[in-house]
Amino acid sequence: MENIKETIIEVIKSILPIAIVITILQFTIIWLPLETFMQFLIGVLFVGVGLILFLLGVNVGLLPVGEMIGSALPKTKKLWLIILFGFLLGLVVTIAEPDVRVLSSQVEQVSDGAIPQSVLILSVALGVAIFVAIAMIRIVFNISIVYILAVGYGLIFLLAAFTPPAYVPISFDSGGVTTGPLTVPFIMALGVGVASVIRGKTASRDGFGLIALASIGPILSVLLLGVIYG
Amino acid sequence: MNLHIFEGFGGTMMEVVSALIPLLVLFIICQFFLLKLPLNKVKNILVGFLLAFLGLSFFLQGVHIGFMPIGELMGEILGQRSLWLLIIIGFILGFFAIFAEPAVSVLLHQVDEASGGYIPQKVLLYTLSIGVGLAIALSMVRIILGISLWYFILPGYIIALVMVKYTSKTFTAIAFDSGGVATGPMTATFILAMFVGIASVTEGRDPLLDGFGMVALVALAPILSVLTLGVLYSRKEKAQDDKEANSTEINRDNCEERKSQKSNSSI
Repeated sequence: MENIKETIIEVIKSILPIAIVITILQFTIIWLPLETFMQFLIGVLFVGVGLILFLLGVNVGLLPVGEMIGSALPKTKKLWLIILFGFLLGLVVTIAEPDVRVLSSQVEQVSDGAIPQSVLILSVALGVAIFVAIAMIRIVFNISIVYILAVGYGLIFLLAAFTPPAYVPISFDSGGVTTGPLTVPFIMALGVGVASVIRGKTASRDGFGLIALASIGPILSVLLLGVIYG
Repeated sequence: MNLHIFEGFGGTMMEVVSALIPLLVLFIICQFFLLKLPLNKVKNILVGFLLAFLGLSFFLQGVHIGFMPIGELMGEILGQRSLWLLIIIGFILGFFAIFAEPAVSVLLHQVDEASGGYIPQKVLLYTLSIGVGLAIALSMVRIILGISLWYFILPGYIIALVMVKYTSKTFTAIAFDSGGVATGPMTATFILAMFVGIASVTEGRDPLLDGFGMVALVALAPILSVLTLGVLYSRKEKAQDDKEANSTEINRDNCEERKSQKSNSSI
């Protein structure tokens, strides 16, 4: 029950301030027809209720799966299995990520279907998957995050030279939205699980840096999509 | 009144099913080969999946019927108003978006721990709020003037990578992880739609090219904020090391001081 109350407060806190600012704007400068504004308020209600249910579901069912897989994997002592499952989890979690869906449907709409939603989601998910796998390798071999970040961003700036300009903002936005309410706790749980089994409690800090890597992946993959598709 | 609340809800639900099925399949595979959980735990997890399904359906429905069309409409109206107003509104939206974001409190806690209480939580919170406010205000400037995203992203990341040299590894990891905390459910849905709307009515702007990119700047703001505080912290730590080398007497005082600082900040 405590969990439910906390989730509800969390969601309300994250939605209310902007909703209030928008309401103030509505009755000072925007003045949309009341009917349209009602539709916005109903949207707020739906988003709020939806997020509460979704986060509860994540906490009750989805997150424990991530944690259990995260701690069961290293015990198999098979490196390829850890990397493979890192990849698969990154893939399936991103496909289910709410923020990624919203961005991609927006992109499909604005581009008049030139960049279809499913293609964008899939390339974002592949990007996350590859970089979660890299993050697993980093934890196992204790590679400094700074090197991976430098190489990753270097590649991004290189690829961006070859991609159509329209893909650049979309790619960076994709990097931003992957770190949504599902991916972050899920991947964190996986990383902390793997790190704590491999290196013991002292090195649980290794779990950090995972989200950073997970948000480089989609930038690269969407830029690459632009090179191929555009 | 003519409200379209459940328009296309069936389609949304189908979309959510296809979103969650890969995760469910992976869980079932893991269950058989790796986890082998008892039946009551499996039941809990399936309830979780059901809740996530319902939640995601409502969330996306709310975005489709409410946030996206009305965000765009509001953007179109705002885009025809005074452009200076847009910048101010952008700052206010950003400032409040981060102020209440649940993920931020986790970040505040991490930084507090990593700096041993040296960086007060309030300082980081205000740095973040102002940073995200500036990020959205700058995105408005970008649409108004039609500047390429590069002129913001490139210097931003170069500054970040340079600052990495002067901060500890822990701060670096926390900083780059924190990019996502600001891009919460309101930023990625409503404010995004608003930007597309503004870009579509501003003359000479392509919504595809200029409407997107706001999330990218918002994600950059916390990275720079945390790194800046990390640089400040490591300088202080260095100064302390020098002092420690000079005199153990001062060192003891420092320790006590640090302890009292810590207890102060925790209160």
